[in-house]
Amino acid sequence: MPRIEDIGAFNNVRELGLAKLVPSVPRIAIGMGTCGRGNGAEGIYHAFAEMIERSGVDVYLTSVGCFGACHQEPLVNVRVPGNPLVMLRQVQANDAGRILHDLQAGNITHDLVYCKIEDWDHITTNIRYGHAYPEIPAWSDIPFFKGQRKIVLRNCGLINPDDIEEYIAVGGYQALYKALIDGRPEGILEQLKASKLRGRGGAGYLTGNKWEFLSKAKSDQKYIICNADEGDPGAYMNRNEIESDPHSLIEGMIIGGYVMGATEGIIYVRAEYPLAVHRLNRAIAQAREYGILGENILGRGFKFNLQLVEGAGAFVCGEETALIASLEGQAGRPRPRPPFPAQHGLWGKPSNINNVETWYNVAPIVLKGPAWFTETGSAKSSGTKVFSLVGKVRNTGLVEMPLGTPLKTFIYDIGEGGAVGRAIKSVQTGGPSGGCIPQEMFDTAVDYESLAQLGSIMGSGGMVVMDEDNCMVDVARYFIEFTNSESCGKCVPCRVGLNKSLRILNRITTGAGTTRHLDILDELSRYVRDCSLCGLGQTAPNPVLTMVRHFRQEFEDHIVSRRCQAGVCAELALSPCENSCPLHMNIPRFLQLYKENRLEEAFESIIMDNPLPCSTGRVCQHPCDKRCRRQTMDDSVNMREVHRYIADNILLSDKFEPMAERIAGRKLEPTGRKIAIVGAGPTGLTAAFYLALLGHDVTVYDHMPEAGGMLRFALPEYRLPKAVLRREIELIEHLGVKFVFNSRIGFDLPLNELDDRFDSVFIAIGTWKESWVYLPGTELKGVYPALPFLEQVSKKAPVQLGRRVAVIGGGNAAIDSARTALRAGSEVTVVYRRERKDMPAIEEETASAEEEGAKIMFLAAPHRIIGDAKGNVRAIEIEKTKLGEYDSSGRRKPVPTGEILRFECDSVILAVGETVDLDFAKASGLQIRDGGRIEVNRFSLETSRPKFFAGGDVVTGASNVSNAMAYGKQAARAIDEQLMDAKRWDNLFRTVEYEQRPPDCPSDSRRHKPHELSAQSRVGSEEEVVLGLTPEEALDEACRCLRCDVKVVSVR
Amino acid sequence: MAKKTISIRIDGELVNAVEGQSILEAARASNKTIPTLCFLEGLSSVGACRLCMVEVSGVDRMLPACTTPVQDGMSVTTTSPKLARYRRITIELLLVERNHVCAVCVSNGHCELQSMATSLGVTNVRFAYNYPKLPVDLSHPRFVLDHNRCILCTRCVRVCAELEGAHVWDLTNRGIHARIISDLNQKWGEAKSCTNCGKCVQACPTGALAEKGKAIEEMVKSTENISTIMRRRGVEA
Repeated sequence: MPRIEDIGAFNNVRELGLAKLVPSVPRIAIGMGTCGRGNGAEGIYHAFAEMIERSGVDVYLTSVGCFGACHQEPLVNVRVPGNPLVMLRQVQANDAGRILHDLQAGNITHDLVYCKIEDWDHITTNIRYGHAYPEIPAWSDIPFFKGQRKIVLRNCGLINPDDIEEYIAVGGYQALYKALIDGRPEGILEQLKASKLRGRGGAGYLTGNKWEFLSKAKSDQKYIICNADEGDPGAYMNRNEIESDPHSLIEGMIIGGYVMGATEGIIYVRAEYPLAVHRLNRAIAQAREYGILGENILGRGFKFNLQLVEGAGAFVCGEETALIASLEGQAGRPRPRPPFPAQHGLWGKPSNINNVETWYNVAPIVLKGPAWFTETGSAKSSGTKVFSLVGKVRNTGLVEMPLGTPLKTFIYDIGEGGAVGRAIKSVQTGGPSGGCIPQEMFDTAVDYESLAQLGSIMGSGGMVVMDEDNCMVDVARYFIEFTNSESCGKCVPCRVGLNKSLRILNRITTGAGTTRHLDILDELSRYVRDCSLCGLGQTAPNPVLTMVRHFRQEFEDHIVSRRCQAGVCAELALSPCENSCPLHMNIPRFLQLYKENRLEEAFESIIMDNPLPCSTGRVCQHPCDKRCRRQTMDDSVNMREVHRYIADNILLSDKFEPMAERIAGRKLEPTGRKIAIVGAGPTGLTAAFYLALLGHDVTVYDHMPEAGGMLRFALPEYRLPKAVLRREIELIEHLGVKFVFNSRIGFDLPLNELDDRFDSVFIAIGTWKESWVYLPGTELKGVYPALPFLEQVSKKAPVQLGRRVAVIGGGNAAIDSARTALRAGSEVTVVYRRERKDMPAIEEETASAEEEGAKIMFLAAPHRIIGDAKGNVRAIEIEKTKLGEYDSSGRRKPVPTGEILRFECDSVILAVGETVDLDFAKASGLQIRDGGRIEVNRFSLETSRPKFFAGGDVVTGASNVSNAMAYGKQAARAIDEQLMDAKRWDNLFRTVEYEQRPPDCPSDSRRHKPHELSAQSRVGSEEEVVLGLTPEEALDEACRCLRCDVKVVSVR
Repeated sequence: MAKKTISIRIDGELVNAVEGQSILEAARASNKTIPTLCFLEGLSSVGACRLCMVEVSGVDRMLPACTTPVQDGMSVTTTSPKLARYRRITIELLLVERNHVCAVCVSNGHCELQSMATSLGVTNVRFAYNYPKLPVDLSHPRFVLDHNRCILCTRCVRVCAELEGAHVWDLTNRGIHARIISDLNQKWGEAKSCTNCGKCVQACPTGALAEKGKAIEEMVKSTENISTIMRRRGVEA
């Protein structure tokens, strides 16, 4: 191809390119960026090429870059002449045959369709593909693309990056041509300044001003440099831009050279980006061949050369003075500024350095003008920015959005929320130089100033989404580990300060941290930020500073209670199941002991961790299931059922008496201290168990006539038979715990009296007050709150239920009410305002309720209850809801749609949550938090009144049995420590020897499900529904455990 | 061409300075003390130790006095509680980074790090010591390089390159693993480019570079000689 020296030749090339872009034959383009290749795009390309050659069909096969939707790779776009471009997603090599076959018949392979593009605004030109396929969604209707504005990524994924003709066909090099013909570099500078384009490398300096410095600098030689040393973990937009559209970078740089009077350009690109290097080299060669680089560019007399330098991957070389040192062949170490590169840069000559993305914005601004550019974005930050949205988010990929877009749009609209339905905790922006923004602040606009205000930076555009499985301390440690190893070592704060921070964080994540460490860390981080020589050190503490600011609780958990909630810090957890258990039961131990046929010891292991093993074996929410590593093979180990099996076999058999003696034998010497526990629910009983074992004199008070709390009065007989609970309480009584019933705190039991008579008081009352929804009609006869309803039934008091019952709510109380109503012979419909996966109720329970005949209506909220003349319920009106924005729980908020359904019924049970009745606490010296809970120290559970502790629902609000018991355990430990001024907790536990090796061949059976009564036989009766496992199944289930608790394995 | 004289304020006091001078030079010329370790008069400034950080009104971050040029009307604060705290941390970090055991050091009593710690009131350190395992290079017939005592100020690197013109010394590795090397990481005794002049030893602020045969407390450095030569050179050039 001859050099382009006039407009005619330019237009000829353009025509040639258009013939490839919108050919008169069907066109297949494979997305061949690194992301596509990683997902097998090369294989797909070869499959197509081979098939086309073999069949001899007239199809134009080509490759393109990445269109940004990394989660849908490999993408293939196909087009029948005259019709829209259709993107196919997640294409496999063996799909090639049918895609080709369909295409020949003028069809699209529908099951692979992602979206269509009818016209595309390349900014520099428009391409019209055609209008058709009404059934296929347009690209801009796909959630991932909705709201995206592709200026930088204008050509990415649509043109062949290896073909300069296609680039010219979509209007490429027009801006350069225009600039050269106009011959007014200062005019372009004005345009750039007016556009308020800011550096896209992260610092956000005004590009126009930077260019002006260099253009004014007087020197025989000037250099312009493109910084493509993209090193942030989780950021890859520059790589994709170069891989998909290298000519836009070249065009931007030639214009820059022309404006600033430089004839030499250098692109500093990481060697870790081989494809980008390859494509850029090819693009530079092509540009030279077409007369666009080198002497006499486009016949307009301007000379500009471009060369590519590969960086060896030091992160600090992204800093401009270090980059220049690296270009000069020296070690990449920054030097102090001033002098700035614009005065004293590469080889001592004036130089300008801009980020890849900044250069990509040049051609559109030159062609369309600054007014067009400032239309997009916010007042201070104009234009768009490309972000790489990665991490725990459903849709990952490159996202180009106008600056100023709120963060939540990225996470919830484009990313469509958490990847596996988990709640998103925070977003890390700006890589190791940035900070973490917590979920509460997702309303923040993404622009330079707003992010800086939160202690983060925009950086080059990495956006790493983290959910509750990410430990923020570990994330902080990770980033400091990164900057520590990437620090050049020149200045003291960065070299030693970061190393010291890392050592402290290492100690915290391994459980060796102290609260003093947090203060030192904070001071050290500020010091490093304020005193470091270059940007690396000045920004490196940002992750720590923001994490300590926004997630201090997590740091405290690691330090004070030596716990990592996310289960990331290996040293702080025995195994994932143990870590997830609120009671921190040593699950692998009892499974192993049981496997070793040591049933009694297995039971002792269980009961010392969990004093109500039969009850929890039946009704626990079993968070351990979600964490079990066995589920990566098949299903998680059914730990709760094995636990129940072991517990039942001791407590509900003739082994009870000897075992009760054995446990009582563990009691420590009597201390003579008297402790009152108010509330005989799971929290109170747990605390009583441990405090009695610790040798204290424990009295438990309750306002009900029997012990057990919610377990006794809210859980229906068919789930937890009263006899089972009775046995557990007997064991606690056996330890010498005294019970006093029918006494209500504050009324029968004045706080001052408790204060006088006891050494410590633990308040562990439950949520007995039903929260009330303000719904018209709740005053009607036949409307029951769930708890009193369940309580009445459990007391065998008569409840007048109608034939048709509506239950409002989606928690365990709702399902229990529904199943209880079914047993009373009613027809039951549960109305829940969210989706099934959002239900707080235990999944198995919901499924059982449905088996028994309950209907569940999702996405429906009560509107009003309608009564008849006698004041009885006649019907309920339900308003359909739809899913709206995400709330802080990571679930989508139900939004009313206005569509009302009427539903005839005779009774309504409201199970919309419970609260604590805190009337007694007024003027008692107990501080109350808003929301009606007692304020306590998170770790010691002390209230604001000396001697008084509180825990369980009274502190958290309505929760579940295992969480409540965990408070009891924590309180027992704290109360004993305070009373005795000694750490005696560990004296309660004995070490047990058992096999410390992972099983050679764990059982390969799937998860054993417990036996149940059939749905027909159980509806009519009160009998327990879930019967548990057989001995063989329990053993086999225990053999499924992979023993994650064994960390060091000796090789035999 | 005579350089323009400008006036700046240092700790509130109006002083004269010459355009192109650093804040540190201007301060020293007016008998003001700003603590430094990596700075050595006559050698180029690198801004590595960050002890000379000062506050300049109107600038929201602190600046190193050794590399920041003076500007007319500039108002500099050289001491503040924050600066004192930060300088203290710098000394503490230098002390814990390597193995500084004054009691057995040739430079005990003549060590800039030691006297800086004393003058800044660093009587204890709050961080855990790193205790790295570092070698001692005894291969040179006359001199010793003890990495345990090196603070990476790079004065040796600069004096060798800028005054002696030999450029024996440089830095290798990154971050906390950075170390002084001679030639291309040869032993000092085998470094062909070394002229055995000993300027590096004289420039070294601690006992990292020392003369053989000197016992504890005997190694007295004469950094002033280097500054004098460099000053004279500046006049000649």
